[in-house]
Amino acid sequence: MSEKSQTPNPTEDKASRRDFLKITGAMAGAAALAGIANQGLQNVKASHGEGGEHRWGMVIDIDLCIGCNYCTYACQAVNNLSDDMRYNIVTTETLENGDEYFLSRPCMQCDDPPCVHVCPVNATYVRDDGITTMDYDLCIGCRYCEIACPYDVRVFNWRDHTELSPRVPAFGTPEVPPRPRGVMEKCTFCQHRIDPGLERGLVPGVDDAATPACVVACPTGARIFGNLNDPESPASKSLEANKTPIRLREELSTAPKVYYLPPKSKTQSAAEEG
Amino acid sequence: MQNTIQPLTMRLGKREVDIFPYWMGLLVVGILFGLVGAYQVFAYGLQVTGLSNQVPWGLWISIDLSAIALGGSAFTFGVIVYLFKIKRMEIVGKLSVVLGFLGYSTAGMVLLFDLGQPLRFWHPIVFWQPHSLLWEITMCVVLYLTVLMAELLPIVLEHPIFSTHPWLDRFPILRKLSSSLIWLAHRLHGWAPAFALLGMTLSLLHQASLGATYSVLSGRGLWFNQSAPVQFVFSAMGGGTSLLFFLSVVVFRIMRPGLVKDEVLYDVARIAGAIVLLCIYMRVWDWAVTNYYSFDIEVALQTEMLNSVTPYSSTFWIGQVLFALIPGLMLIMAKRIRNFRILMSVAILPAICTVLVRWNYNFSGLIASITYDPYTPTVVLNSYAPTWQEWAIASLVISYWLIGFSLAARFLPFHSAEHGHSEK
Repeated sequence: MSEKSQTPNPTEDKASRRDFLKITGAMAGAAALAGIANQGLQNVKASHGEGGEHRWGMVIDIDLCIGCNYCTYACQAVNNLSDDMRYNIVTTETLENGDEYFLSRPCMQCDDPPCVHVCPVNATYVRDDGITTMDYDLCIGCRYCEIACPYDVRVFNWRDHTELSPRVPAFGTPEVPPRPRGVMEKCTFCQHRIDPGLERGLVPGVDDAATPACVVACPTGARIFGNLNDPESPASKSLEANKTPIRLREELSTAPKVYYLPPKSKTQSAAEEG
Repeated sequence: MQNTIQPLTMRLGKREVDIFPYWMGLLVVGILFGLVGAYQVFAYGLQVTGLSNQVPWGLWISIDLSAIALGGSAFTFGVIVYLFKIKRMEIVGKLSVVLGFLGYSTAGMVLLFDLGQPLRFWHPIVFWQPHSLLWEITMCVVLYLTVLMAELLPIVLEHPIFSTHPWLDRFPILRKLSSSLIWLAHRLHGWAPAFALLGMTLSLLHQASLGATYSVLSGRGLWFNQSAPVQFVFSAMGGGTSLLFFLSVVVFRIMRPGLVKDEVLYDVARIAGAIVLLCIYMRVWDWAVTNYYSFDIEVALQTEMLNSVTPYSSTFWIGQVLFALIPGLMLIMAKRIRNFRILMSVAILPAICTVLVRWNYNFSGLIASITYDPYTPTVVLNSYAPTWQEWAIASLVISYWLIGFSLAARFLPFHSAEHGHSEK
């Protein structure tokens, strides 16, 4: 091999030109691939809504939550869900001292959502306002997003939608069309309320018609919604007033936009320790 | 040069009975049972399965991963035969291509059932999301299945039916078709080294990505594991080659005596043993550092629970360590043991081990999930039991695999490499 390269080659000039073309071609190919890859990354990275006008977030006050499940029921009615499908889950949990409290868990609307990274067809994506949503026409139902979600809030549509939710009409009426069988579904912060609401000049978080159904339904006002980029929004004010909001599984760097105000006993003991 | 193919027979009383028709009949029953399940799945959707939102991947995904893993001998032997140019392995390499094609087509079939929207199976090819491991796997598997078809076509067309069947003279169109196919097969065979290289690249990519599918999921116990991709690659090579050795003895030593020298079969066993031992070496190191990776309290809790409560621990020590270590040591000493009965019975164990690795990976992270309590996190165990429809689909695809293999073992000549080359 080395011997061959040392012998003078009459076609060397030609060969090097061919090599040059090959290398250029390979580089162009690599650049194209990198471009595609970058585009994919931007689907996640450039769309946090951090610099944009809106960045929707939710604050849930654990002390105010009474575990009545109205948020779940309103969500089921408005999103046209069958009885066994829940975008929002309320569980009973315990503090270290044994006290019980209710943990209401919608989609965390992560800034860096694991579900979006893993979707093989771009069916789930982050909108410019930070909402992680679904394109139900693209979803193939592989359920990788469900596996990847560290909060267990994605639900699969196991069966055909044939009947209305039993929560209709007590908790609301369906506002979105039913999804086909076999796609993944998720909480969208009621984007079908936010988008038309903004067009009509309403303020999501303030005007009920433009606010997620779970927030409106909450009888104790434990849920607060608003634009995190606007310091005057209810959510921003609530976060400002409470210096110790927490987010679930923060160590996973998913950066949820759903904040929890910890129970008073928790903050007091922290203050005493501090 | 024509070798006769000896059918597998069984002694019934005083008669020697060819078991092939009965065996095929049994497999057809398996297919028919599977078709009933397939109708149910397509008509009623995945609600007929035992899957849930907590355990969304079950038996089918385990079969899919195992089928791909056990097809891992195809790229290994593609490299051995066409890039390392070890020509005495060529005939065994042909069998590995058959196994590869069957494994990957089985995986494709079972995935089709597993999708919530089976008619959208082509979406990843059109709607690209290059950041998803599943997208990369889909593209690689589609491309690799194409490569395997190109490698398989020349092997299938070696069958004399394509050149000497009397119908070829009666219907000229058939003659034209078969001769153009054979022409194409020769061209494809000429490209074999390129296909071997392409096959190796694609296989390494997606076998590793199948491991990474789980290991990027930081929120789940056991899965967030940086060595999973490497382990998947090597266990596929080890398990696939062990299975290839087992089936090579059946196809070549029992059914085609004299076609492949015993020494070559011993070499296949030794290759399998070496890879299996390499794999178990890495696996034990990985076990040692699993808890080291579990920086997250909830992940550590999950790992602890899986080790103490579920069968994970026993399947790990017996299935993944013992089933690999002992056969690995015995296979690598094949030339000293020189007993095909013993070698065959141990060679099946690494294949089972490979399946268990997939099974454990797929289930372990799913059945132990955490509560989301930020203050006192605990682990809950989910349950999953496959329904009969899931077993039916399993029966369908496994019967398909076995029918494909049985037909190849019974009818493919495998021998005419010299014949093909002399014609050029």
